[in-house]
Amino acid sequence: MKKLVEIKDVCKIYNPGENEVRALNHVSLTIGEGEFVAIIGQSGSGKSTLMNMLGCLDTPTSGKYFLHGQDVSHMTDDEQSDVRNREIGFIFQGFNLIPSLTALENVELPLIYRGVGKKERDRLARAALKSVGLAKRMTHKPNEMSGGQQQRVAIARAIAQAPPILLADEPTGNLDTASTKEIITIIKRLYHEGRTVIIITHDPGIAAQAKRIITISDGMIKSDIINPEYKDEI
Amino acid sequence: MGTFGEYIKSALSSIKNNKGRSFLTMLGIIIGISAVLIVLIIGDGMKATVNSEIDSMGASSISVSLDDTKTDKKFTRSQLKDIEESIDNIYGISPSFTVWGNTSNNRGEAFELYISGESEASETASGVKVLHGRYYNASDVEDGKQVLVISQTFARHIFGYEEVVGETLDVTAYDITKEFTIIGVKEDTPIDIAFAGFGEDIILTASGPYTSLAEAFNFDVDDMFNSFTIYLDSENRNAVLAKTRSVVENITGLRGENAVKISSGSGFDETTNSILDIITSVVAIIAAISLLVGGIGVMNIMTVSVTERTREIGIRKSLGARTSSILTQFLAEASILTFTGGVIGIIFGLTVSFIICRIIDFSFSVNPVLVIVVVAISTGIGLFFGIYPAKRAANLDPIEALRNE
Repeated sequence: MKKLVEIKDVCKIYNPGENEVRALNHVSLTIGEGEFVAIIGQSGSGKSTLMNMLGCLDTPTSGKYFLHGQDVSHMTDDEQSDVRNREIGFIFQGFNLIPSLTALENVELPLIYRGVGKKERDRLARAALKSVGLAKRMTHKPNEMSGGQQQRVAIARAIAQAPPILLADEPTGNLDTASTKEIITIIKRLYHEGRTVIIITHDPGIAAQAKRIITISDGMIKSDIINPEYKDEI
Repeated sequence: MGTFGEYIKSALSSIKNNKGRSFLTMLGIIIGISAVLIVLIIGDGMKATVNSEIDSMGASSISVSLDDTKTDKKFTRSQLKDIEESIDNIYGISPSFTVWGNTSNNRGEAFELYISGESEASETASGVKVLHGRYYNASDVEDGKQVLVISQTFARHIFGYEEVVGETLDVTAYDITKEFTIIGVKEDTPIDIAFAGFGEDIILTASGPYTSLAEAFNFDVDDMFNSFTIYLDSENRNAVLAKTRSVVENITGLRGENAVKISSGSGFDETTNSILDIITSVVAIIAAISLLVGGIGVMNIMTVSVTERTREIGIRKSLGARTSSILTQFLAEASILTFTGGVIGIIFGLTVSFIICRIIDFSFSVNPVLVIVVVAISTGIGLFFGIYPAKRAANLDPIEALRNE
């Protein structure tokens, strides 16, 4: 298995000095291509910081982060933007769709920033929306859709340009049980299609869906196990 | 370029989504731009109208004099002739001197006389209109004929009626009395009326060949004039002004002594134009201040827009938007607002100034460069006042921005 994410001895310290907060304390972690990983921890455990780090939204105070073999620990804002655009598909708890844009336009956004031409963009975005079962909702705006549908748009946006990593931050946190099931099913399917999926959650029920479970607490990795209860079915 | 088009598109959709606010923002620019435009166009119209009125006066004059602190030379008769022949496109030149005399009518009433001695060119001075007979001509001047052209008022006071061509008149001045023949009667000018009508004594005005008046009252025509007037049509004024100094200096032998003073007649057009220009620029500055206020309005609304859309900016950044993408998007939004405001302002400004020019009868003309400059300024305002909020947006930390609800 090829290494996709390699974090080496990473610390993230806020407010350096006497009242410093060590959000990440010497964390090392490797995730291979095609893995299905859940990172679980309580709030304040450092999981959000880890997620920001993995998503190249933040840089470590010390230590190294290699993504696809590329050192991304010290980059300018614009370089980080490019890496995020190329490597990572985000799925957020709050969906984070732009309210003034239609589903199709929302899905096209990362493709625009990548510089994909209009025709190709349209084709990719439509294909992605179809694959999450929203072929009939392409011209709807977010406020015309249910939470589950919005999250599916967000997933379509994340996968439209086929990034190597899907990074889902509490993807079902705002959803009812039915929608949660729907979203987990889609995420599992994407994993089966060969994508690397990382879910960050505080919900053991969600974490139990993943193949590998990493527990984080006080900024440190407490356990990193293969899920014995993992069911390889959709 | 395709990506740039996308930024324009998203800027447009954001403007459309906030129609009311966008319009209010634009209103500041619309008012500013149209105010500047109206002021400048009406200023131009005022200038053009005044100038065309000055031009339509046709007759104009330039006066040339010798500075008596620099030289004690005078213009001789032959020098004046040479000067007249050396300058093209003029009606002629004329020296001028005044004879204060008196006369009486057949009822024995005495009148003071103000007689100007000039050349035949003075006929072309503005306001001269011969009603009966004729003005004196070149040969009258050349031969020193003792003739006079008198005003209507003059004729009425002395003879009791106006058609007095051929009558003679005794003029006494400097203890000399000479008989003059009246060859013409000219229409009263305001000056003629003023001389006759105001003050205790009635002063009557007339004009005659300077040669004969000088001879009659014992002046030396070669040693009495240190100034003369050039009569010309106002359209030739600039060409003549350009040539006059060197001609006069050459003929009088005063080259390099800085003794020749030229005052361009009344200097009416230059003075009026510069006054009009000052008025126009002062009002334009005031109008420009309203444009500045409009620009600050744009900055204000863009700042609000950035604050409101912090989360959107965070989302865009997390999806791979670079700093420059966000910057472009917001600058595009600000420029489109002010550009559109500018275009509406121009249409509004042109319409209003057209109507105003019609109403007060000014000539309406639009300099296309002015319109282009105004559009450029309004877009520039958008860029300038959009930079601060756009930079703020572009430099937002995506994590912080995403956390924003």
